[in-house]
Amino acid sequence: MGGGFAFGFHLPAVNAQNVAPEINAWVVIRPDDTVIIRYARSEMGQGSMTSAAQLVAEELECDWNKVRVEYADTNAQVRRKRVWGDMAAVGSRTIRQSQDYLRKAGATAREMLIAAAAKEWDVPAAECTASSNVITHGLSSRKTSFGKVAASAAKLEPPKEVTLKDPKEWKIAGKPVKRIEIPDIVTGRIRYGIDAQLPGMVYAAIAQCPVFGGKVKSVDAAKVQGRRGVIKVLPMQDFVAVVADNWWRAKEALKELPIGWDFGGNDSVSSESIMKFLRAGLDDQSDVMVAKRIGELEQGMTGAAKVLEAEYFTPYLAHVTLEPQTCTAVIKDGRVDVWTSTQNAEATHAAAVATAGVPLENVYVHRMQLGGGFGRRAAQDYTRQGVQIAKAMEGTPVKMLWTREEDMQHDNYRPASLVRLKAGLDAAGNPVAWYSRVSAPSIIATLLKLPLKEGIDPQAVASFADQPYSIPNVRIEYAQRNPNVPVGFWRTVGHSQNPFVRECFVDELAHAAGKDPYEYRRGILPASTKESGVLEATAKAAGWGTSVPAGVHRGIAVTEAYGSYAAAVAELSVNDKNAVDIKRLVLGIDSGHVVNPDNVIAQMQGSAVFMLTAMFWGEITIKDGRVEQSNFHDHRMMRLREMPKVEVVLAPSGGFWGGIGEPGQAAIAPAICNALFAATGRRIRSLPLKNHGFDIA
Amino acid sequence: MLDPITKGAQVKNGRVKLELPVLADNGNSVSMKVSVESPMTEADHVRAIHLISERNPETRMASFHLGPRAGSAQIASRVRLAGSQRVVALAEMSDGSFWMDSANVVVTLSACMDETG
Repeated sequence: MGGGFAFGFHLPAVNAQNVAPEINAWVVIRPDDTVIIRYARSEMGQGSMTSAAQLVAEELECDWNKVRVEYADTNAQVRRKRVWGDMAAVGSRTIRQSQDYLRKAGATAREMLIAAAAKEWDVPAAECTASSNVITHGLSSRKTSFGKVAASAAKLEPPKEVTLKDPKEWKIAGKPVKRIEIPDIVTGRIRYGIDAQLPGMVYAAIAQCPVFGGKVKSVDAAKVQGRRGVIKVLPMQDFVAVVADNWWRAKEALKELPIGWDFGGNDSVSSESIMKFLRAGLDDQSDVMVAKRIGELEQGMTGAAKVLEAEYFTPYLAHVTLEPQTCTAVIKDGRVDVWTSTQNAEATHAAAVATAGVPLENVYVHRMQLGGGFGRRAAQDYTRQGVQIAKAMEGTPVKMLWTREEDMQHDNYRPASLVRLKAGLDAAGNPVAWYSRVSAPSIIATLLKLPLKEGIDPQAVASFADQPYSIPNVRIEYAQRNPNVPVGFWRTVGHSQNPFVRECFVDELAHAAGKDPYEYRRGILPASTKESGVLEATAKAAGWGTSVPAGVHRGIAVTEAYGSYAAAVAELSVNDKNAVDIKRLVLGIDSGHVVNPDNVIAQMQGSAVFMLTAMFWGEITIKDGRVEQSNFHDHRMMRLREMPKVEVVLAPSGGFWGGIGEPGQAAIAPAICNALFAATGRRIRSLPLKNHGFDIA
Repeated sequence: MLDPITKGAQVKNGRVKLELPVLADNGNSVSMKVSVESPMTEADHVRAIHLISERNPETRMASFHLGPRAGSAQIASRVRLAGSQRVVALAEMSDGSFWMDSANVVVTLSACMDETG
């Protein structure tokens, strides 16, 4: 199947809406039968641009080969009362949150096209059907095309109610159609934010205070003013920009520029001081909130035949998008144009409006392909900087680009988290009491600055407070402890770290009970749970319980995140140099419905690359208030030859819409660490694995 | 929502102009401006301007007390908003009457929250 991505630097003024009939905000049909489907959120490799269009096309009954996808424009969005709704590509929610209105948009447009044809033929609309861009009147066998009736359809009142198809009848959705933007990626036609080019453009490199929360105190601009290519030195409140005729000259001048920083007293913070602070959170009696309480924990513990205790730690992690943060902007005659990579174009629009101080209607956001998102490009710090610089250079387009070092050292990091666990087992080895205390920063309280409901950040206690096992006495506590390291949403967020803790500790319980880790989980998971279903499907596909070659060991885990359920089975061996040879990684997912199976498989495989990188080597450490890591030489990533085979098990059980971009990561780290325990007898209670002497074979 | 301030007195729309961005990329620091039509004389002036939030944990975000010597009944501030909501600017006049204006602001939260919506 075909489909295409209409990409370019086109301004909204020449958007298709002016030249072709718009049936509704999502569907435009050209006289030549081309179907333009608008896409409101962002494409960053997660494939939702294709899946979202599939849902519209399915109900529209159009010819997929004639589909082009175009980004919904933020300027039109603000002028048209937010007709496209939420534009954020975050929280694995593009499909699950928009499927209803996207399918309705397709169905509504189809009904309008049919009504227009029926009107022309003077027959009842109920006697006409649509399929593959063609409308047919069954009785007379008359036919017409979408393109021919689009102009008159656009003038009709949309039907108030439409019936959506049962997913069982899907012909375009549910099928592995090819990703729309990939031809443009492989031919180099696609433009990332970093590729923005404008006539007369100048370049900016920036430096932010190496110590978090610091401010600019002094800048000796004269030192670099005469350098070749340097146009301007711009000291801002919390960063300094050097503008030059090319980016390298800007960056080199910045390196030579004497900048005095006010560290605000934070230059003594270290990973050790942060750990001490978090550890105190495990013991503190005050400032601790209860996130979940079932039964009576103390009673359960007292009656237990065996009690286990453990402490687990997960570190700060950087997003490290391959494309560092960048923003190109020009402000001229009160109009602001921004070219950037963003996970939320509407937030970019709002940030540009606020920074430039212009009316909402004067901003145009030109969306570029994202060179990685992972949650980093939700926050709009880089848009504000880009627009701030453009404002100082009014009339001239400026491309601001961070260095890799700047990016790694000025992120909103995945929080570090320290967890204490305690479980009581009965004589049969089943858990009768479970206690967890999470001591960790709150993203919601510190980044979003939103009030927490009863002091609980749901992400900090994710997969503890909502754990699926039947345990009669549970207490989950949260000690919100915020060091000054800025935290943010890193792909899979709380579920990127807590499942490692929970599922490894469940493994500890299974071994203490002398039971097979898979059977143990099955025994304590209510049979009706989705977790039970996906665990079984994954274990079966992995051949859990069958014999493995000598030296090969298995580990298993099950999780739930972003409305989906995921399980993993890892098969590995470890040699005498602690090199881990992952033979197989089997990942199962139940996302309810599957809109594009090929894309779901790709997302699961991508999740494996991302999580294996993080669990083997990923950590951000702090010394003298600064991030110690700076580039790929000290922030190692998974290499192609190291990547194990990832087998994906699609186990959609229907009836709900789960996310895809993030849930796949959750079960990987515990499955690997549980296999490592089986192989070596070493129980890994902190990440990354490199700190335990492990490397990948 | 307004009762703790108005004590049940009638609130009329008008005389107050609340300017607020209709779209904000986060709620940390949203700039706003309120102006009230008033001669600001001893006999006829604005006694106070209150900013009220529909969704913040603290409903009354701010109260500005003014007198005739303020010269003009105008305030500009930055407020923190806990998400998309309606914000009300309530003016309390020297004759005891209340006037208001309201505005809706959309905060485009880009958070990888588990919950949809």
